[in-house]
Amino acid sequence: MATVGGATNGACGEDEFYLRYYVGHKGKFGHEFLEFEFRPDGKLRYANNSNYKNDTMIRKEVFVSPSILREARRIIQDSDIMKEDDSNWPEPDRVGRQELEIVMGNEHISFTTSKIGSLVDVQTSNDPEGLRIFYYLVQDLKCFVFSLINLHFKIKPIQS
Amino acid sequence: MAAATEVEAVDFDSDDDDLMDEDGAIEPSPAPAPRLRSTIAGGGGGADDAPRKTKGRGFREDPNSSSAPRDSRLAGVGRSGFDALASDGGPGPVRSIEGWIVLVTGVHEEAQEEDLHNIFGGFGQVKNLHLNLDRRTGFVKGYALIEYENFEEAQVAIKESDGTDLLSQIISVDWAFSNGPVKRRNTRKRSPRPNRSRSPPRRRY
Repeated sequence: MATVGGATNGACGEDEFYLRYYVGHKGKFGHEFLEFEFRPDGKLRYANNSNYKNDTMIRKEVFVSPSILREARRIIQDSDIMKEDDSNWPEPDRVGRQELEIVMGNEHISFTTSKIGSLVDVQTSNDPEGLRIFYYLVQDLKCFVFSLINLHFKIKPIQS
Repeated sequence: MAAATEVEAVDFDSDDDDLMDEDGAIEPSPAPAPRLRSTIAGGGGGADDAPRKTKGRGFREDPNSSSAPRDSRLAGVGRSGFDALASDGGPGPVRSIEGWIVLVTGVHEEAQEEDLHNIFGGFGQVKNLHLNLDRRTGFVKGYALIEYENFEEAQVAIKESDGTDLLSQIISVDWAFSNGPVKRRNTRKRSPRPNRSRSPPRRRY
Protein backbone atom coordinates (compact mmCIF):
# COMPACT_ATOMS: atom_id res chain seq x y z
CA MET A 1 0.00 0.00 0.00
CA ALA A 2 1.41 3.35 -0.97
CA THR A 3 2.09 5.83 1.76
CA VAL A 4 -1.33 7.25 1.53
CA GLY A 5 -1.07 9.57 4.41
CA GLY A 6 2.53 10.50 3.85
CA ALA A 7 3.24 11.74 7.29
CA THR A 8 0.09 10.92 9.13
CA ASN A 9 0.73 13.82 11.38
CA GLY A 10 -2.58 13.36 13.11
CA ALA A 11 -0.98 11.15 15.67
CA CYS A 12 0.63 14.02 17.45
CA GLY A 13 -2.32 15.95 17.67
CA GLU A 14 -4.25 18.99 18.09
CA ASP A 15 -4.50 19.96 14.46
CA GLU A 16 -7.68 20.16 12.48
CA PHE A 17 -10.29 17.56 13.20
CA TYR A 18 -13.78 17.08 11.87
CA LEU A 19 -15.98 14.01 11.84
CA ARG A 20 -19.41 13.45 10.38
CA TYR A 21 -21.38 10.26 9.97
CA TYR A 22 -24.74 9.87 8.30
CA VAL A 23 -26.91 6.84 7.75
CA GLY A 24 -30.36 7.03 6.30
CA HIS A 25 -32.89 6.27 3.64
CA LYS A 26 -36.07 7.66 2.21
CA GLY A 27 -39.10 5.47 2.52
CA LYS A 28 -42.69 5.41 3.60
CA PHE A 29 -41.85 7.10 6.87
CA GLY A 30 -40.12 9.93 5.10
CA HIS A 31 -36.45 10.63 5.33
CA GLU A 32 -35.28 8.51 8.21
CA PHE A 33 -31.75 9.13 9.24
CA LEU A 34 -29.21 9.40 11.97
CA GLU A 35 -26.40 11.86 11.74
CA PHE A 36 -23.75 13.21 14.04
CA GLU A 37 -20.73 15.38 13.74
CA PHE A 38 -17.83 16.58 15.83
CA ARG A 39 -16.69 20.03 14.84
CA PRO A 40 -13.19 21.38 15.32
CA ASP A 41 -14.34 23.66 18.13
CA GLY A 42 -15.74 20.73 20.07
CA LYS A 43 -19.38 21.01 19.16
CA LEU A 44 -21.03 17.63 18.94
CA ARG A 45 -24.27 17.62 16.99
CA TYR A 46 -26.65 14.75 16.79
CA ALA A 47 -29.80 14.40 14.74
CA ASN A 48 -32.16 11.49 14.47
CA ASN A 49 -35.25 11.65 12.35
CA SER A 50 -38.09 9.31 11.69
CA ASN A 51 -41.69 9.98 10.87
CA TYR A 52 -42.66 6.57 12.10
CA LYS A 53 -45.76 6.96 14.28
CA ASN A 54 -45.38 10.70 13.90
CA ASP A 55 -42.04 10.83 15.58
CA THR A 56 -40.33 14.13 15.24
CA MET A 57 -36.74 14.93 14.69
CA ILE A 58 -34.41 14.77 17.63
CA ARG A 59 -31.66 17.33 17.44
CA LYS A 60 -29.16 17.72 20.21
CA GLU A 61 -25.92 19.53 20.56
CA VAL A 62 -23.33 19.96 23.23
CA PHE A 63 -19.72 21.04 23.42
CA VAL A 64 -17.35 18.25 24.29
CA SER A 65 -13.98 18.65 25.93
CA PRO A 66 -10.71 18.41 24.04
CA SER A 67 -10.21 15.04 25.71
CA ILE A 68 -13.30 13.70 24.00
CA LEU A 69 -12.10 14.95 20.64
CA ARG A 70 -8.76 13.33 21.29
CA GLU A 71 -10.43 10.02 22.02
CA ALA A 72 -12.49 10.25 18.84
CA ARG A 73 -9.29 10.88 16.92
CA ARG A 74 -7.63 7.96 18.58
CA ILE A 75 -10.45 5.62 17.63
CA ILE A 76 -10.21 6.79 14.04
CA GLN A 77 -6.45 6.63 13.98
CA ASP A 78 -6.38 3.11 15.36
CA SER A 79 -8.85 1.96 12.75
CA ASP A 80 -6.62 3.02 9.84
CA ILE A 81 -9.70 4.18 7.96
CA MET A 82 -7.77 7.08 6.46
CA LYS A 83 -5.80 4.60 4.37
CA GLU A 84 -8.94 3.14 2.82
CA ASP A 85 -10.84 4.21 -0.24
CA ASP A 86 -14.52 3.80 -1.03
CA SER A 87 -14.07 3.28 -4.76
CA ASN A 88 -14.83 -0.43 -4.55
CA TRP A 89 -17.51 -0.23 -1.93
CA PRO A 90 -21.17 -0.81 -2.75
CA GLU A 91 -22.90 2.26 -4.10
CA PRO A 92 -25.73 3.70 -2.02
CA ASP A 93 -29.06 2.32 -3.12
CA ARG A 94 -32.74 2.37 -2.33
CA VAL A 95 -32.15 0.56 0.92
CA GLY A 96 -30.01 3.40 2.13
CA ARG A 97 -26.85 5.33 2.29
CA GLN A 98 -24.00 5.88 4.68
CA GLU A 99 -21.55 8.75 4.62
CA LEU A 100 -18.42 9.12 6.66
CA GLU A 101 -16.48 12.33 6.44
CA ILE A 102 -13.31 12.93 8.38
CA VAL A 103 -10.78 15.70 8.33
CA MET A 104 -7.64 14.92 10.21
CA GLY A 105 -4.36 16.70 9.73
CA ASN A 106 -4.05 17.28 6.03
CA GLU A 107 -6.22 14.38 5.02
CA HIS A 108 -9.88 14.62 4.22
CA ILE A 109 -12.02 11.61 3.41
CA SER A 110 -15.63 11.65 2.40
CA PHE A 111 -16.78 8.08 1.93
CA THR A 112 -20.19 7.03 0.73
CA THR A 113 -21.64 3.57 0.55
CA SER A 114 -24.82 1.58 0.99
CA LYS A 115 -26.12 0.38 4.32
CA ILE A 116 -24.35 -2.69 5.57
CA GLY A 117 -26.70 -5.23 7.03
CA SER A 118 -24.16 -7.64 8.37
CA LEU A 119 -20.68 -9.00 7.88
CA VAL A 120 -22.01 -11.10 5.02
CA ASP A 121 -22.41 -7.90 3.03
CA VAL A 122 -18.84 -7.05 3.90
CA GLN A 123 -17.45 -10.44 2.86
CA THR A 124 -19.23 -10.47 -0.46
CA SER A 125 -18.19 -6.94 -1.41
CA ASN A 126 -15.32 -6.07 -3.71
CA ASP A 127 -13.26 -4.67 -0.87
CA PRO A 128 -13.96 -6.79 2.19
CA GLU A 129 -10.90 -5.60 4.07
CA GLY A 130 -11.63 -1.92 3.65
CA LEU A 131 -15.32 -2.29 4.20
CA ARG A 132 -14.76 -4.28 7.35
CA ILE A 133 -12.71 -1.45 8.79
CA PHE A 134 -15.49 0.95 7.93
CA TYR A 135 -18.13 -1.37 9.35
CA TYR A 136 -16.47 -1.70 12.73
CA LEU A 137 -15.32 1.88 12.96
CA VAL A 138 -18.84 3.12 12.38
CA GLN A 139 -20.13 0.91 15.14
CA ASP A 140 -17.45 2.07 17.53
CA LEU A 141 -18.11 5.72 16.73
CA LYS A 142 -21.86 5.31 17.11
CA CYS A 143 -21.32 3.59 20.40
CA PHE A 144 -19.17 6.48 21.61
CA VAL A 145 -21.61 9.15 20.48
CA PHE A 146 -24.65 7.31 21.81
CA SER A 147 -23.03 7.09 25.22
CA LEU A 148 -22.25 10.78 25.19
CA ILE A 149 -25.71 11.82 24.07
CA ASN A 150 -27.37 9.39 26.40
CA LEU A 151 -25.41 10.51 29.44
CA HIS A 152 -25.74 14.19 28.71
CA PHE A 153 -29.41 14.32 27.74
CA LYS A 154 -30.77 11.03 29.05
CA ILE A 155 -32.32 10.04 25.80
CA LYS A 156 -31.89 6.67 24.25
CA PRO A 157 -30.82 7.09 20.67
CA ILE A 158 -32.59 4.77 18.29
CA GLN A 159 -30.59 3.08 15.59
CA SER A 160 -31.95 3.97 12.20
CA MET B 1 -5.47 27.34 4.64
CA ALA B 2 -6.20 30.86 5.69
CA ALA B 3 -9.05 31.15 3.27
CA ALA B 4 -10.48 27.88 4.39
CA THR B 5 -10.32 28.90 7.99
CA GLU B 6 -12.22 32.04 7.32
CA VAL B 7 -14.98 30.33 5.46
CA GLU B 8 -15.23 27.76 8.13
CA ALA B 9 -15.30 30.34 10.87
CA VAL B 10 -18.18 32.13 9.24
CA ASP B 11 -19.98 28.89 8.93
CA PHE B 12 -19.70 27.84 12.49
CA ASP B 13 -20.21 31.22 14.01
CA SER B 14 -23.39 31.87 12.18
CA ASP B 15 -24.74 28.67 13.56
CA ASP B 16 -23.70 29.62 17.03
CA ASP B 17 -25.55 32.83 16.68
CA ASP B 18 -28.69 31.04 15.68
CA LEU B 19 -28.58 29.18 18.90
CA MET B 20 -28.06 32.24 20.99
CA ASP B 21 -31.33 33.60 19.70
CA GLU B 22 -34.67 32.42 20.87
CA ASP B 23 -35.23 28.86 19.86
CA GLY B 24 -36.46 28.87 16.38
CA ALA B 25 -38.38 32.08 16.88
CA ILE B 26 -36.28 33.90 14.39
CA GLU B 27 -35.75 32.29 11.08
CA PRO B 28 -32.02 32.26 10.69
CA SER B 29 -30.76 33.84 7.56
CA PRO B 30 -29.68 31.10 5.24
CA ALA B 31 -26.20 30.38 6.40
CA PRO B 32 -23.91 28.56 4.08
CA ALA B 33 -24.29 24.88 4.66
CA PRO B 34 -21.38 23.23 6.38
CA ARG B 35 -20.38 21.39 3.29
CA LEU B 36 -17.01 20.45 4.54
CA ARG B 37 -15.76 19.12 1.32
CA SER B 38 -16.00 22.52 -0.23
CA THR B 39 -15.31 24.80 2.66
CA ILE B 40 -12.32 23.11 4.14
CA ALA B 41 -10.94 21.01 1.36
CA GLY B 42 -12.13 22.80 -1.71
CA GLY B 43 -11.30 26.25 -0.49
CA GLY B 44 -7.79 25.39 0.48
CA GLY B 45 -6.46 25.65 -3.03
CA GLY B 46 -4.48 28.77 -2.39
CA ALA B 47 -2.75 27.58 0.72
CA ASP B 48 0.97 27.38 0.66
CA ASP B 49 1.31 24.53 3.05
CA ALA B 50 0.74 20.98 1.95
CA PRO B 51 -2.55 20.67 0.17
CA ARG B 52 -5.05 18.49 1.91
CA LYS B 53 -5.36 15.05 0.44
CA THR B 54 -8.90 14.17 -0.37
CA LYS B 55 -10.45 10.80 -0.98
CA GLY B 56 -13.88 9.36 -1.51
CA ARG B 57 -17.09 9.59 -3.47
CA GLY B 58 -18.09 12.60 -1.48
CA PHE B 59 -15.68 14.65 -3.54
CA ARG B 60 -16.78 13.28 -6.85
CA GLU B 61 -20.51 13.70 -6.51
CA ASP B 62 -21.98 16.93 -7.84
CA PRO B 63 -19.81 19.24 -5.77
CA ASN B 64 -21.89 22.29 -6.50
CA SER B 65 -25.34 20.91 -6.25
CA SER B 66 -27.26 21.88 -3.20
CA SER B 67 -29.64 19.03 -3.72
CA ALA B 68 -27.42 16.60 -1.91
CA PRO B 69 -29.37 15.51 1.12
CA ARG B 70 -26.57 16.31 3.51
CA ASP B 71 -26.99 20.03 3.14
CA SER B 72 -30.25 20.34 4.94
CA ARG B 73 -29.74 18.21 7.95
CA LEU B 74 -27.24 19.41 10.48
CA ALA B 75 -27.01 22.85 8.99
CA GLY B 76 -30.18 23.97 10.69
CA VAL B 77 -31.28 26.24 7.91
CA GLY B 78 -34.93 27.06 8.05
CA ARG B 79 -35.67 24.83 10.98
CA SER B 80 -35.69 25.19 14.66
CA GLY B 81 -32.31 24.74 16.27
CA PHE B 82 -30.77 21.97 18.21
CA ASP B 83 -31.65 21.31 21.81
CA ALA B 84 -28.89 22.10 24.23
CA LEU B 85 -28.68 22.30 27.97
CA ALA B 86 -27.95 25.64 29.54
CA SER B 87 -24.38 26.80 29.47
CA ASP B 88 -22.63 30.10 29.83
CA GLY B 89 -20.45 29.60 26.78
CA GLY B 90 -17.32 30.00 28.81
CA PRO B 91 -14.55 27.54 29.36
CA GLY B 92 -14.80 24.78 31.91
CA PRO B 93 -17.12 21.84 32.35
CA VAL B 94 -20.85 21.87 31.89
CA ARG B 95 -23.41 19.95 33.84
CA SER B 96 -25.30 17.17 32.11
CA ILE B 97 -28.95 16.64 32.78
CA GLU B 98 -28.54 14.43 35.81
CA GLY B 99 -24.99 15.03 36.88
CA TRP B 100 -21.40 15.52 35.84
CA ILE B 101 -19.75 13.28 33.30
CA VAL B 102 -16.11 12.29 33.48
CA LEU B 103 -14.13 10.67 30.68
CA VAL B 104 -11.46 8.10 31.42
CA THR B 105 -9.08 7.20 28.61
CA GLY B 106 -6.22 4.76 28.37
CA VAL B 107 -8.39 2.09 29.93
CA HIS B 108 -6.88 -1.37 29.63
CA GLU B 109 -8.70 -3.62 27.18
CA GLU B 110 -9.28 -6.21 29.85
CA ALA B 111 -10.56 -3.82 32.48
CA GLN B 112 -13.86 -4.71 34.08
CA GLU B 113 -16.60 -2.43 35.27
CA GLU B 114 -15.71 -3.50 38.74
CA ASP B 115 -12.17 -2.16 38.38
CA LEU B 116 -13.57 1.24 37.51
CA HIS B 117 -16.12 1.14 40.30
CA ASN B 118 -13.34 0.32 42.72
CA ILE B 119 -11.39 3.38 41.74
CA PHE B 120 -14.09 5.89 40.97
CA GLY B 121 -16.52 4.84 43.65
CA GLY B 122 -13.99 6.23 46.09
CA PHE B 123 -14.77 9.80 45.05
CA GLY B 124 -18.52 9.60 45.24
CA GLN B 125 -21.36 7.43 44.12
CA VAL B 126 -20.96 6.41 40.49
CA LYS B 127 -24.45 6.93 39.12
CA ASN B 128 -23.67 5.66 35.67
CA LEU B 129 -20.79 3.90 34.03
CA HIS B 130 -20.35 3.22 30.35
CA LEU B 131 -17.46 0.92 29.55
CA ASN B 132 -17.89 0.38 25.85
CA LEU B 133 -16.43 -2.49 23.94
CA ASP B 134 -14.59 -2.71 20.69
CA ARG B 135 -17.12 -4.14 18.28
CA ARG B 136 -14.61 -6.25 16.48
CA THR B 137 -12.55 -7.67 19.32
CA GLY B 138 -15.06 -7.58 22.14
CA PHE B 139 -12.44 -6.08 24.43
CA VAL B 140 -12.78 -2.73 26.12
CA LYS B 141 -12.46 0.04 23.56
CA GLY B 142 -10.20 2.09 25.78
CA TYR B 143 -12.43 4.67 27.39
CA ALA B 144 -15.06 4.88 30.07
CA LEU B 145 -17.68 7.49 30.88
CA ILE B 146 -18.66 7.99 34.48
CA GLU B 147 -21.46 10.03 35.96
CA TYR B 148 -21.37 11.68 39.37
CA GLU B 149 -24.19 13.58 40.90
CA ASN B 150 -22.10 16.45 42.21
CA PHE B 151 -19.54 18.68 40.66
CA GLU B 152 -17.20 18.27 43.61
CA GLU B 153 -17.15 14.48 43.33
CA ALA B 154 -16.29 14.65 39.67
CA GLN B 155 -13.67 17.30 40.24
CA VAL B 156 -11.94 15.32 42.93
CA ALA B 157 -12.10 12.17 40.80
CA ILE B 158 -10.36 13.98 37.97
CA LYS B 159 -7.78 15.51 40.21
CA GLU B 160 -6.97 12.36 42.09
CA SER B 161 -7.06 9.76 39.36
CA ASP B 162 -5.74 11.53 36.28
CA GLY B 163 -2.34 10.06 35.47
CA THR B 164 -2.65 7.12 37.87
CA ASP B 165 -2.60 3.59 36.63
CA LEU B 166 -5.18 0.92 36.17
CA LEU B 167 -3.98 -2.60 35.33
CA SER B 168 -0.54 -1.10 34.75
CA GLN B 169 -1.78 1.37 32.17
CA ILE B 170 -1.78 5.09 32.83
CA ILE B 171 -5.27 6.52 32.62
CA SER B 172 -6.23 10.07 31.78
CA VAL B 173 -9.27 11.52 33.45
CA ASP B 174 -11.03 14.70 32.41
CA TRP B 175 -14.42 16.32 32.00
CA ALA B 176 -16.44 15.01 29.09
CA PHE B 177 -18.48 18.11 28.33
CA SER B 178 -17.62 21.71 28.09
CA ASN B 179 -19.44 25.00 28.44
CA GLY B 180 -18.18 26.42 25.21
CA PRO B 181 -15.96 25.91 22.23
CA VAL B 182 -12.41 24.75 22.33
CA LYS B 183 -10.05 27.66 21.97
CA ARG B 184 -8.34 27.22 18.70
CA ARG B 185 -5.13 28.85 19.65
CA ASN B 186 -3.16 27.55 16.76
CA THR B 187 -5.54 27.41 13.85
CA ARG B 188 -3.65 30.05 11.98
CA LYS B 189 -0.24 28.96 13.03
CA ARG B 190 0.38 27.15 9.82
CA SER B 191 -0.76 30.00 7.67
CA PRO B 192 2.21 31.69 6.10
CA ARG B 193 0.24 34.84 5.60
CA PRO B 194 0.09 37.37 8.39
CA ASN B 195 -3.20 37.47 10.11
CA ARG B 196 -4.29 40.94 9.13
CA SER B 197 -6.21 39.81 6.14
CA ARG B 198 -9.37 41.14 4.64
CA SER B 199 -11.62 39.46 7.07
CA PRO B 200 -12.31 40.90 10.49
CA PRO B 201 -11.08 39.00 13.51
CA ARG B 202 -13.39 36.45 14.89
CA ARG B 203 -15.52 37.60 17.71
CA ARG B 204 -17.59 35.05 19.47
CA TYR B 205 -19.42 36.70 22.25
